[in-house]
Amino acid sequence: MRYKESFLSFLWIGLEPLFMFIILYVVFSNIREPREENFAIYLISGIIFYHLFTKGTMTGLTSIKNNQGILKSLAINKNIFPIIAVTTTALLLTVEVGIFFGIMPFVSFIPSWTLIMMPLVIILLLGLILGLSYLLSILYVKIPDIQPIWTILMYALLFVSPIFWSIDQANDILLTIQQINPLGQIIELSHKIVFNEIPDIEEWLKTALMVSAILVIGYIFFKKFEKTIVEEL
Amino acid sequence: MKENSIIVENLIKTFKAPKNFKNKSNLIYALNNISFSLEKGQILGIIGKNGSGKTTLLRTISGIYNATSGNITVNGKLAPVLQIGIGFRNEISCVENIIMYGLLLGLQKNEIKNKINSILEFADLKDFARMKLKYFSSGMRTRLAFATAMQIKSEIFLVDEILAVGDMDFKQKSFDEFMRLKKEGKTIIHTTHNLSAVERFSDKVLFLDKGKQIDIGEPKEIVTKYKKYILGE
Repeated sequence: MRYKESFLSFLWIGLEPLFMFIILYVVFSNIREPREENFAIYLISGIIFYHLFTKGTMTGLTSIKNNQGILKSLAINKNIFPIIAVTTTALLLTVEVGIFFGIMPFVSFIPSWTLIMMPLVIILLLGLILGLSYLLSILYVKIPDIQPIWTILMYALLFVSPIFWSIDQANDILLTIQQINPLGQIIELSHKIVFNEIPDIEEWLKTALMVSAILVIGYIFFKKFEKTIVEEL
Repeated sequence: MKENSIIVENLIKTFKAPKNFKNKSNLIYALNNISFSLEKGQILGIIGKNGSGKTTLLRTISGIYNATSGNITVNGKLAPVLQIGIGFRNEISCVENIIMYGLLLGLQKNEIKNKINSILEFADLKDFARMKLKYFSSGMRTRLAFATAMQIKSEIFLVDEILAVGDMDFKQKSFDEFMRLKKEGKTIIHTTHNLSAVERFSDKVLFLDKGKQIDIGEPKEIVTKYKKYILGE
């Protein structure tokens, strides 16, 4: 429905991350060290996760407020709205996976067997989006300023997550932020898997713990306010 | 004696007062000690000025709002609160809205598709089936909402001011539909400012003012009382 009003309609699902990739690729492949010929793949895998995260959490954030017409008319299980945000992300994912594999022949990249672990990373991403959607959907009704704040935070996440820089290039500040940035952890896991590396069990556990904590906190918060949130719309 | 369809006992609904509306308790009594019962197949009209608690009463009966205290016993399946265009999406077409609305109301997709023609016919919108809703007038939206909601297999219908808009022809069709539902033993609660309609089509009338139940009883008697009380006639 988001793209229903535009001329190119759902093509934008794929065009958004693709244009973001082209812009960042043109800029960073010229100003940075020619790190490796796989920079394009490194960049697109990071962008896809970042793009899904931003779309998913933004859909989650507005999910209760944008559906107030329905909520004021139907005694409906409100839980479905954050879940719809995750389902939407999963649908976007199918298109973006196509872009990921579509770029490979152009940069002569041969996918590694370790890619079979990617569904685990995707589950972590969807869990993170769901947890944040629970939290943000309620907060946005109570505090409308959350939307611009979240937009700024997502903009910051683009720079502090390992999307166009790698961990071995990061300074202490970026490394410290990376330690507490669940999206950054997820993107780093995806990079390792894409480049034929098996992440350590500690890396998996740490990311899973962060995502679980956000999911539990978000769910508890949502449950606490879901009964009365319609009265505040 | 017929079986009761709805029993409301000492219903109180309060809202937290907004910052600029401070009173001693910091609470607004939207409904203050409402009690009535309705038999199956009866039509209850609710009258009162804007802000008297009519919509809050419908939303509390339907479970959209939680009662602060008191009891509501509902004997049968409740249809959603029917309001003007509520839950509709401007960016999609009339038919797409029917499908979306129908799905939300619990209908199966095939069931909705089979009913699309009869909905469009009832709403007199056959020529506008593919038009986006943003081009619809409030009367067209009302007709669409009413025609779609009437397809729901429910025992109790809650109708909020839906007949305030629309031409005479549609109003007559809607009242005829009410009568058909009544004959089938369905219960209808409707709010309105149209005093002649409420007198003509209701078995009982509930008169609310500032959240308080002023009276309930025979339509003619209550409408006369309302006119004296509110209009000073």
